Amino acid sequence: MTRVRVLFAMAGAAVAVGLWFAFTAPTDALQGEFSRIINIHVPSLWVAFLAFGVTALGSILWLIRKKPRWDRLASASAEIGVLFTAIGLFTGMVWGQAVWGRAWDWGDARLATTAVMFFVYLGYLALRRATPDQPARAQRSAVLGTIAFVQVPLVYFSVNLFRTLHQTQSIRPDGSTMPPEMLIAMLINVLTFTLLYVALMAARTEIAVVEEAAAPVASMAGEGISPPRLGEVEDV
Amino acid sequence: MSFWSQTMEIARVDMSLERRTGDVTRIVVPFAVIALLVFPLALGVDLSGISRIGPAVFWALGVLFGMQVALRQTASDSPERRDLYALLGVDPAAKFTGRTISGAVLTLGFFAALLVAMVVLYSPRLPEGWLAPTLLSAMLVAIGLTELGTLAGEVTAGLRSRTSLASLIVAPLAIPLIIGGSQTLESVAREATILPWILLLLATDLALAVAGVGLARPLEEASR
Repeated sequence: MTRVRVLFAMAGAAVAVGLWFAFTAPTDALQGEFSRIINIHVPSLWVAFLAFGVTALGSILWLIRKKPRWDRLASASAEIGVLFTAIGLFTGMVWGQAVWGRAWDWGDARLATTAVMFFVYLGYLALRRATPDQPARAQRSAVLGTIAFVQVPLVYFSVNLFRTLHQTQSIRPDGSTMPPEMLIAMLINVLTFTLLYVALMAARTEIAVVEEAAAPVASMAGEGISPPRLGEVEDV
Repeated sequence: MSFWSQTMEIARVDMSLERRTGDVTRIVVPFAVIALLVFPLALGVDLSGISRIGPAVFWALGVLFGMQVALRQTASDSPERRDLYALLGVDPAAKFTGRTISGAVLTLGFFAALLVAMVVLYSPRLPEGWLAPTLLSAMLVAIGLTELGTLAGEVTAGLRSRTSLASLIVAPLAIPLIIGGSQTLESVAREATILPWILLLLATDLALAVAGVGLARPLEEASR
């Protein structure tokens, strides 16, 4: 538990620094104050991609090794990924309303594919909730966690694959399209959100250990039958 | 028995079960045609609007009801039959492939019936040379949808909420299929190349086939 507290204290301090950078960085000439949303929107979706990547990795490792810790890692990461996808979608819609004049645009492939990714992982969480038996839950969700990851590159590259309203990536191999001050603020917030993800993962996996220990043990065949005591057996 | 003999035997059993029960022909097809009738009633008597949305409604209903075909529960899904297959040493990958073949044939038949009903009821303005690309994309969508349905059916096998849960898993993952299917016809109408959309469908089908065959054994372990 101490480890989790230390991680949350570090994440809290990092969030304070991130917010300071987010509110002191220069704004976009056209978008004004709304451009500051980038400091939450991009880091949230970065964490979502990272979380779903960890889910896929945990799922594959579970399928190979069958160790409960890989299942805990995959499920905790999926929960956090869904949370950050929701934050990313919400901030994107607020930003879209301010800049495009509408919160949802069907011409925007990034928005539509992110929503699809969100629902795929909601299905993953629903599958876990619907499967009471722990090993079966781990096995089934590991299969889905592996398949579902195909959505992540589709979301990331959707702005390059389709003609779309959403801008393409700001950071490319040949440099960035953002001014250095805005870029630094965004990158600091990416680091902050990553630290927050690590703290949340540590807390969620510890909770999962407690949940597993508290879960009722599945009934075994013959469990309801007890052997007769010596005094009850009569000689025949 | 070789892998392909097992596959074809499972597909044959599935098809004969469908011939007996008629789940697709007697339930899914009439229900989808009723849904085709509901759209114009909701839109009102706007004939040009109805003919314009015809192909889009075909793909939307095709994928939604195609999911029902792909997720249908047959006798081969019963726990006893699963145990029997396992005891007989049937390869889980062969079971996946066999189910996919029979499901794809049924889904393609369903698409054909729905397409005829849509053309008759909606009188859509279809571009010249639309039939061959539509049939090709329908075949690829049917394969992908069945692969996805078979996978989701295995993932949710034996669960109380199987029907709704499997649909929740299949619907978002079927998006590349609905995009590929509908954009193929759009491209024919715009006189543009259909190749990118056919490649998208092929890539999706291939990825699902690899996932289905590769994950068939762990899924069988989980569902028993």
